[in-house]
Amino acid sequence: MRTRNWTALRGYTFIVYGFVYLPIMLMGLFSLNSSDIIAFPLTGFTLEWYDQVLHDQRIFKGLLTTMAVAFPVTIITTTLGSMAAIALTRYQFRFKTLFMALLVLPFFVPKLIFAIAQVTFLNDIGISKGLPTVWISQSLIILPFVTVVIASVLFKMDRSLEEAAEDLGASSWQSFRLVTLPLMKNGIMAGSFISFVLSNAEYTVSFFTSGRVQPLSVLVASDFRFHLSPSLNALAMLIVVFNILVIVVSEWFRRRTIHEL
Amino acid sequence: MKMVTIERERLRTALLLTTPNLLFITAFCVLPLAVLFSYSFFQVDFVSILREPTLDNYSRIAESATYRGLVAKALLYGLGIASLCALIAYPIAFYIAKRVKVYKAALLTLLLIPLYTGDLIRIFAWRVVLGAEGVLNSLLLWLGIISEPIWVLLFSPFATTVVLTYNYLPFMIFPLWAAIEAMDDSYIEAAMDLGCRHVAVFFKVVLPLSGAGLVAGFLMVFALVVGDYLTPQLMGGSSGVTVTSAIHDMFGAAFDWPTGSALAWILLASMILFVVCVLYAFYRSPWGRGVRRSK
Repeated sequence: MRTRNWTALRGYTFIVYGFVYLPIMLMGLFSLNSSDIIAFPLTGFTLEWYDQVLHDQRIFKGLLTTMAVAFPVTIITTTLGSMAAIALTRYQFRFKTLFMALLVLPFFVPKLIFAIAQVTFLNDIGISKGLPTVWISQSLIILPFVTVVIASVLFKMDRSLEEAAEDLGASSWQSFRLVTLPLMKNGIMAGSFISFVLSNAEYTVSFFTSGRVQPLSVLVASDFRFHLSPSLNALAMLIVVFNILVIVVSEWFRRRTIHEL
Repeated sequence: MKMVTIERERLRTALLLTTPNLLFITAFCVLPLAVLFSYSFFQVDFVSILREPTLDNYSRIAESATYRGLVAKALLYGLGIASLCALIAYPIAFYIAKRVKVYKAALLTLLLIPLYTGDLIRIFAWRVVLGAEGVLNSLLLWLGIISEPIWVLLFSPFATTVVLTYNYLPFMIFPLWAAIEAMDDSYIEAAMDLGCRHVAVFFKVVLPLSGAGLVAGFLMVFALVVGDYLTPQLMGGSSGVTVTSAIHDMFGAAFDWPTGSALAWILLASMILFVVCVLYAFYRSPWGRGVRRSK
């Protein structure tokens, strides 16, 4: 294609990326602005809003609950997601399509419908809401993402390495432990990071299954809805920056494997 | 080891790997959806739920023009936003796949970040931008471009459309990018050498060869938009009544779980019907040739 067309395409791509990042950038800008009204013109630089957020007891408590949710969810989804990814990329079996359909089911069911299904289910079997119910419901909706991330690494891995190990007399457990697992390690790392971030950000399902133990997202949801304030900007910015770091590290792990092979 | 033993061992491992997932998803996703389905046949009696099966909930919803309209509106929004995302995403996916070399990983990672920050923060950020006393209005006022704040920016179908497109665009760019990345450049070059114009190259080469990516992205965006309940509620104002917010109300203040369950299942069933139709049409169409052959 002629250069002129590529230049136009590049310009267009940058405009859309600008559109994607504009709200986050503006949020960041106003989290540092000294006025408590979020509007132009800018009035001056301050770190007061960050200071407020970091000293807020309620937010700190919510953050602890978020962590108490995120770690178990990460362990559950990484374990199940690794198993599913290996099964999908390394084995041929009947009903594979059905297995795949079941795996992506929680992704395609609207979150709200998934959440109220959990509510009726818990009501019928008589389990009260608490941390375990959030672990399970969040794990279900995060599992498809983690499986895809881990499978993307396994997909690029050369199968002949495992076949060689088995030809040389390794049992399938040995070839898994000594060949597959070390090679998919980066995929597992990437998957667990993604799981951690998604768990932190989850709102809809947590809202319906958390009961009285409220993670940060549920706790600040009503604030986000009704009043906009610079300290909420600062809080949102802290979460965004944290997520950026985790995702960049996770992608670095994932791509390292893909390039090595 | 004998061939048969190896085969049997592989089968056993496959079973071992899939069973925990099957059990987990069946017990905590399929079963709850079945329970929800059973609720759709119950009745509500003041403050308790009467467990005598009846089809009343379904007939009441089918007769109500409001509910029919809400389901239709959800499906139309899904179609509209998915098409809009496809239009916006195609050039970007093409550019990243065929032109970018060094920054490819960076550009793709940049798309992931807003995706993983969560619905709430993304919506909050847009409210900051679009509000009547928000960033965009105050900027335009300050620069003297407008003299009155533009009220329709926030709490309007316009705001809902912008934010829904924004939220789910990455789900369209990724599968399209993957499909175009896998496409052999020589097809495009051959078409150009044979005198195809750009528009013709797109319709005759790029579009048919990236059909699988388009369908995957389209279905994902469709399902996510139909099921989204935060965005219309928080961005749409009075226009933000959707089928999902109606279901939410029945499980909250209205305490009418049976009607809510029936409405949820009607929405789910129409989504499944749509997805199955699209997949079948794709599979039978010339675009699905690649998928058929690989079977």
